[in-house]
Amino acid sequence: MGLLSIIRKIKRKEKEMRILMVGLDNSGKTTIVLKINGEDTSVISPTLGFNIKTITYQKYTLNIWDVGGQKTIRSYWRNYFEQTDGLVWVVDSSDLRRLDDCKMELDNLLKEERLSGSSLLILANKQDIKGALTPQDIAKVLNLEAMDKTRHWNIVGCSAYTGEGLLEGFDWLVQDIASRIYMLA
Amino acid sequence: MEDDTLNPNLTESTEDASLQKKHSSMVERLSKRHQTGSDNSESSSPSFESVSSFLSRFNLLKTTIESNLAQSQSLSSQLKPHFDNIAASISDLEKLVAENSYFLPSYDVRSSLKTVSDLKQKLDNLNSQLIPKKKFAFKNKGAKKDSVFIPQQKPSTVANVVSEKTSSIAVRDSPGFRNETGQVLIQDCKGLEVGEFTVSDLDSCEVRIIGTVRALFVHRLKNCKVYVGPVMGSILIEEVEGCVFVMASHQIRIHNAKKTDFYLRVRSRPIIEDSDGVRFAPYCFTYQGIEDDLRGAALYQETGNWANVDDFKWLRAVQSPNWSVLPENERVRIVDVSNMNNGKEEI
Repeated sequence: MGLLSIIRKIKRKEKEMRILMVGLDNSGKTTIVLKINGEDTSVISPTLGFNIKTITYQKYTLNIWDVGGQKTIRSYWRNYFEQTDGLVWVVDSSDLRRLDDCKMELDNLLKEERLSGSSLLILANKQDIKGALTPQDIAKVLNLEAMDKTRHWNIVGCSAYTGEGLLEGFDWLVQDIASRIYMLA
Repeated sequence: MEDDTLNPNLTESTEDASLQKKHSSMVERLSKRHQTGSDNSESSSPSFESVSSFLSRFNLLKTTIESNLAQSQSLSSQLKPHFDNIAASISDLEKLVAENSYFLPSYDVRSSLKTVSDLKQKLDNLNSQLIPKKKFAFKNKGAKKDSVFIPQQKPSTVANVVSEKTSSIAVRDSPGFRNETGQVLIQDCKGLEVGEFTVSDLDSCEVRIIGTVRALFVHRLKNCKVYVGPVMGSILIEEVEGCVFVMASHQIRIHNAKKTDFYLRVRSRPIIEDSDGVRFAPYCFTYQGIEDDLRGAALYQETGNWANVDDFKWLRAVQSPNWSVLPENERVRIVDVSNMNNGKEEI
């Protein structure tokens, strides 16, 4: 982390964090964001564009950018990379067929220099669906152990449907970002 | 130029005409950028990299949309396409914000998004004011047998489980129908807890899924008919051709579909991507006890969303050429399989 970016963080009045949610279409990104925010998740259309949610979480303000995952709009993801503190990669653990696509897109994303300093949370979503792969299996498929050693990452199983695992995941992410950018009081 | 087709109501004053030119060139550029796909570089993007030029562009588009909205009151016919056009312009506007959000101050992003959502709200209000709601009627035309049958009727093949190979890891078998030709495939999920279900690599088959599943994946189907009960989560359909689907779900995504009809009930807006010749109509499947299953899955209400299709390959102000509403006289009637227990066909 450069000196400038540290100063930039310290200067902020509120303890803001910028979180970017990405992943293949149908992985549950929007549902996760709404669920965390305690909103109704029963009617959600596939995201055409993006949504922003500002959520107060513990003593931090999270600006969560939820960007659509359809193939056509994945090329726009890079428009959101700047100043990202936390990256959330969402996986549909029940979509066995597209795990290769999922791995490829994640690998591409992690090559991105502008994201090199951000903490990475992988959410193995849809654990409530019978037949879903466990987070351990997902970690194997995505070959997470082979990731660059400087990256802070964690994988957590969750269900946006029941809410299970979401807080555990975001707790880790927020703590990791906080300790990384010296904001822990 | 497509100025005329885009906004027929806006050619009266010169001011409006110039507005419109800017608008259409904007749309043009967006779609060009769109077509260049993933190889587009930073320089080809319509990013202005300057807050003021973004704002002036944004305000132009906003004014156009507002004047279109204002005209709605005086239009008596053609309201639906008019609203569709406005909705498309609003999503263009939203996209403009998205594309430029990386350099905009957060205040401007927030206020632009607020404007977009206000416009959406206005459109919704006008829409419900000016277009009367269609009445929902659940057609239950007796327990008529359906007339749709494929010739080679065979007793059911119940959920044959074929292991699917995944390159990196040996994945356990998952329930589904795979690699069949000319079969009637029936899955009765009543009393079972079915998670994800896969239907893939079928040719000229008829598939019936009775009861509720959590998630459905459909991949590589040709000339098939697929009838499914409520799906609690989402449906993902890829690479289908010459098929008929009758399905109910919370979310439906359709990729690479050709010449296929979809009879849907869906709580959110269905989307298509890389598809053409696809047509949409309301859900028309029934079996003994479907009402309870639909209620249990919160899919009992018709939402009308079967016709609110978003085409990710057509982010423009005019109706996508890739999909259409299936004309009523070409729709199949209710598909009723009440009297066909587990494939014991009685014809």
